[in-house]
Formats: sequence, C-alpha cells, structure tokens
Amino acid sequence: MIWLGWRQQRTETVIAAAILALVAVILVPVGIEMAHAYTRDGLSHCLGATQRPLCDELVGNFQQRFDKYNSLVGWFNLVPGLFGVALAGPFALELERGTHRLAWTQSITRRRWVATKLGLATGSTLVASAVLIAILVWWRQPLVKLDGRMDNGAFDAQGTVILGYGLFALGLALAIGALWRRAIPAAMVAFVGYFIARIFVDTWLRQRFITPKTVTWPAGKDQPASLARSWVFTEYPSNAAGTKMQPVPRACFSGTHAKCIVRPGFGYMHAVFEPASRFWALQGIETAAFGVTGIALIAFAGWWTLHRE
Amino acid sequence: MSAISTDALGKRYGSNWALRDCTLEIPTGSVTALVGPNGAGKTTLLKLVVGLTRPSEGTVEVLGRTPRDDERELMPKVGFVAQDHPLHAGFTVAEMLKLGQRLNPSWNDDIARRRIERLRLPLDRKVGKLSGGQQSQVALTLALAKQPELLLMDEPVASLDPLARREFLNSVLEAVTEHEMTVVLSSHIVADLERVCDHLVILSESRPLLVAQIEDVVASHRLLTGPLADAADVARVHDVIRASHTKRQTTLLVRANGHVYDAKWELHEVDLEEIVLAYLGYGAEVFEVAS
Amino acid sequence: MIRFHLERSGVPTYLQLVQQVRQAVRLGVLEPGDQLPTVKEVVGTLTINPNTVLRAYKQLDLEGIVEGKRGVGTFVATDARPVPPDDDRKLLRTSLERWLQRARAAGLDDEEIAMLFDDTIRPPAISRVA
Repeated sequence: MIWLGWRQQRTETVIAAAILALVAVILVPVGIEMAHAYTRDGLSHCLGATQRPLCDELVGNFQQRFDKYNSLVGWFNLVPGLFGVALAGPFALELERGTHRLAWTQSITRRRWVATKLGLATGSTLVASAVLIAILVWWRQPLVKLDGRMDNGAFDAQGTVILGYGLFALGLALAIGALWRRAIPAAMVAFVGYFIARIFVDTWLRQRFITPKTVTWPAGKDQPASLARSWVFTEYPSNAAGTKMQPVPRACFSGTHAKCIVRPGFGYMHAVFEPASRFWALQGIETAAFGVTGIALIAFAGWWTLHRE
Repeated sequence: MSAISTDALGKRYGSNWALRDCTLEIPTGSVTALVGPNGAGKTTLLKLVVGLTRPSEGTVEVLGRTPRDDERELMPKVGFVAQDHPLHAGFTVAEMLKLGQRLNPSWNDDIARRRIERLRLPLDRKVGKLSGGQQSQVALTLALAKQPELLLMDEPVASLDPLARREFLNSVLEAVTEHEMTVVLSSHIVADLERVCDHLVILSESRPLLVAQIEDVVASHRLLTGPLADAADVARVHDVIRASHTKRQTTLLVRANGHVYDAKWELHEVDLEEIVLAYLGYGAEVFEVAS
Repeated sequence: MIRFHLERSGVPTYLQLVQQVRQAVRLGVLEPGDQLPTVKEVVGTLTINPNTVLRAYKQLDLEGIVEGKRGVGTFVATDARPVPPDDDRKLLRTSLERWLQRARAAGLDDEEIAMLFDDTIRPPAISRVA
C-alpha cells in the first residue's frame, strides 16, 4: 500500500520538491552574499553593549542593502499553503475519480488505505515544511542577529510555525476535498481559506496569545534595552502626568530618537510590546493552534471518507 | 451453501429506496445474472455485497461473513469489477498489476502475466490509452489474479462492442472452468446471458421479481395464444406473467405449473430475453408477478 | 472431433449439446474411443457456462454414450449403442402406429398430434419444473 501511496503522490512530491528548489535557488545566492557581507563588515561587533565605531553606518548600509529581500521572503508565506494543498491532491483526486473503490475492493482494509494515504500526505507536508524552515532560518541568520525575529515578517519564517501552517493547509484541503470530491476547486478554496486564516492570525490573533508587556521611560532618553529585538505594537508619548499625547511622526522612531523628542511637553515614552524572550512561547502557541486544527481536519477527512459510503 | 444470501435487504439514499425487500440466495459455484433496467438496484445490491455501502435494513451474508464488518477476512476472497472499471489512468499496465500484487496477499502473478500476454496488452502502455475493452480486461485480470471465491461484476460488458463483449465473457468463463468460483454479473443487456449464466435474478424498481435457475425459467415459461378469452382459467393453475389482447386473440406469457391441457391454447417456447422483458412489464399489463 | 453449435430456441443449451453428440454418434461422425472437446474448449468456442457443458457430459455419461476419464478427458464409450437394434425399433414403431390410430379416432388432426408429441417429448422441461 505504501508503494501505491507513493506512486499516486509522485507528481505532487515532485511539485513540492520543485517549489523547494525554487526557494533555494532564489535564497541561497543572496544568503551567501548576506552572510559574507555580515562577516566582512564585522557586524557582529555592533551587537553588544560596547559598539565599535561606525556601527550605525555599517548596520544602516547592511539593512538598506538586504531588507528589500524581506518583502520577497514575505511571499514565501504562501509556500506551506502550496505544500498542503498540493499534497492533499492525490486523496481528493482519488475520491473525485472513484478509484478509491478499486483499492477498497482489493484485500486491504479501508482503514489501512485511509491511514496510509493520509499518513503519507502528512509526513510529506511535514518534511517539505521542515526543509523550508531550514532554508529560511539559515538565510535569515544575519538579519535575525541585527533585527531579532519577533516582527511578523521574521516570525512567520522562523521556528516551528511553518510546520503548523503546512498541516493546516493540508488538513483544510483534505477536508474540503473529502466533502466535495472535486480536487481542483477544493484545492483553490482551501488555499484561499489558508490565506485568510494566516492573515487573521498575523494581524489580529497573534498579539492576543499572551498579554503584552508595557514599558515606560523618560522622554529624550534612549529606549530601554528590553525593547531591542522585541515586537513593539505601539509606542506613544505622554506628558509628565502620564496623559497620552499625540504620537510623534513615525520617522522619529528610526535611529535618532533624541532629536525628535525635543518637542516640549513630553514627559515620558510608553511602549506596548512582546519581548524577544517570548519568541518560543508564541511560536509554540501558534504552531499548536495551526497544527492541532490541521490534524483535526485531516482526521475528519479520514473519518468522513470511511463513513460516508 | 449459498455464496450470497440476503434477507429483507434494503438500502435507502435520502428518501429513495435503491433496493428493498431483497431476499435471495445465490448458490456457490453458480454463474448468476442480475438483470433489470437501469436504476433497478443492481449496482446497489452489488455494492452491498462487496461492502462498498452498508444496508439500511435487513442483512446480507457473503461466503458466510458480513461485508464491511468482516472486511479483513472477506475481501481477499471477493473479486470486484466495478461499473466502467475505474482504473488509474496514469498507471501503466505493469503498474496496475503491481498494485494488485501489493494489495492482495493471495495474488497470483502467473495468472495475471499470462492473461495480459494472451490479450497482447503492452505492459508499458498507460491504462488511460487502452480501449474500453482492454481496460475491462485489465480490471478483470486484477480481479482474477486475486483468485477470488466470488467474482462480482457490475455491468462489465455494457460499454463494449460485440466482439470485445464476447472476448470478455469468454475470459470470465474460462476462469470459471479453471478455478472454482461463484460469479455474479449485472447487466441490462439480456442477450448472451442465457448461455453464459445458469442462474437469474430479475430486479425491477428496487425489488427482486424472480430468482431462479435459468434452465428452469426457460423450460417453465410458455407463450399461449388462443381466441380472445379471459386469462382467469389459466391463471388458476399457472402464473400469468403477461397478458395482451386483440379483438380476436389473447396472448399469455405464463409460468406453467405442469402441462397446459386446454386445447384451445397454442403453445410456443420463448427465449430468455422475451421472458425477462415480460417480467419487466414490457408488452402489456402485468397480471400478477410470480415471486 | 465434433464441433458444437448453438441455436436460439427454447431448447436448453445442455440439451442441444447432448443431442449433437447423440446425433454424431448415430451418424458415425463420432466413433467409440473418440475424444470430445474439453470443457474449456467448448466454453472458449461457444462462450457458454462450463456448468452447462459438464451437465451435458454428465447426462451423456449416464446414458452410456460417453465415458469421462479423470484428468484425461471425455471419450465416446466403446460400447456406445445409442441406436436401438432393428428388432426393438420395429416393435416401437408398431406400438406408435397403434397409438396414432387411437389419436386420430379421438379426433386429433396431424398438426395437433405433432404438437402433442412435441410437447411431450421436449420438456423433461415443463413437467419436471412443476
């Protein structure tokens, strides 16, 4: 049965491998260049409390040069969705064409057939997602050292969440495919569903996983160290009594705070943020949320297929 | 012992009964034809037997076991050729055989290879590129190489031209000659069945009308023609399946219980197709239906 | 070797095979010791149910016209004598003629007699079923 499962998943496995190859082709040269630039410019010496001279310029240069790739990598958020939807294909196609009845009238049990097919799809999705994680994590190393990995663009491409995304997309495509028995439309709907779920979590849910911290510091002074590499939701000024005031223009947040904050009346600055130390806690929650939903959907697809006829 | 035995078997889809009140026995070693118009419940009955669906009411027992519940024990003994024989179009013939081998512990690769060779099917040809007749032969090969005790086929020849049909039936019968097995095949085409099958089940409107040995069916049915008359006299002794009248003449198709002595009736033999059509209500008002 | 054929009629298939062998033996087409086609061959050429062929051969065996040799095949019996000896035939003919006279006396015409005869001779069928 495992042979059959692989044989039927051949095209989709090739598609997943091709997507990974494409990601690698795009990222590996830039990654090598970036790592090279990072060591050449000695940027590691700019990270500590005691910074070598010209660090602002060097880091600024580096960021200007490589940050544009961040938006490119943002597109790779779609990739785990593609994996899931593609690898759900063989199952949905089989139901659409009715060829599952051929397998069911051989000597193996239906349960074993469903378990093997879904198990292979799940395993392949996890492997493909893991490879994607490896590429993305390797690629981003220098940027993570400089900027941290807490903002959405980095967080989505780090740690374990991609495993959850893959499982979720797979589960969604399998469940819709099992219900609808039309492979292509099911894949399209599942992909749209995946996209909506991701946007919902990125923009609304994730910041509610753990109650954020707040920090206050006197205006005109440097940001406290705890904000570095953290995920800052809002930052606003107040007067000496603590009453919130109009925030300064956004431009003031980059680099040279002190010049901006000369405006009269500001007593304190406040920030609401998730500290970098919560990275793994947030990753864990989000991976579990997507992963458990995905596995539940996969289980539903199997159960429905077994009990429908 | 019966290979298949059903008791008040029924299957409902939504509010429609696809099969109802189906009680029948199909003897071991028989070649049984399941005939009836499209939508009469043939496919449903076969699906219930092979466990692709569960009964809504009643029971079905196959080779002494309950389909679906005894899946693990039963399925290795049952070969199934589904309607329009769905195969993996992208697989080569060789890969289809490999599928059969991987999924069936009782697979006999010799049987499979020999059949494919004799049919001159190229092993590296994609199944989707084969003709309908060849595809059905591949499906049959898959079912036969499993060495089943019971072979079920749903409309196996409906989409085939006469030559392919004859070849297909020949393959089935040769397999029956070589290995003991019970065969049930459904068909809405009655021609050919008389020689191929020895038992007959007529299904109509989701219910079985007649379950009998074909030889008995042919031997016991007669067409009576005579002057215009009431069929009541005849009906007292024999089962009148169909009666039609013109101004002068009455024609009865009866299942005779013994001799027809009344000299006013002229007796004619009828072939199976005519009998089946009569049961299915073609030709005239159905007087009563023998069960 | 005999080659079977089938006619579309009400005569059961197995009976057609039986009749064809009887006929062939009677006409000398088949001689004692000749082999009949194997079940598989008959099935292959006529596309008929093997049980039908087996049944026909069994019937012929019972009648003593053929002998089945296990694992080898079916052969025309060495003492196959399907044709009654001349004396017997004369006797039978005489009694049939007497019966015919009785039938005509009862008012049956030739066609009716033929029908009655057909009806009686053909069906082990009709009466057997009942």
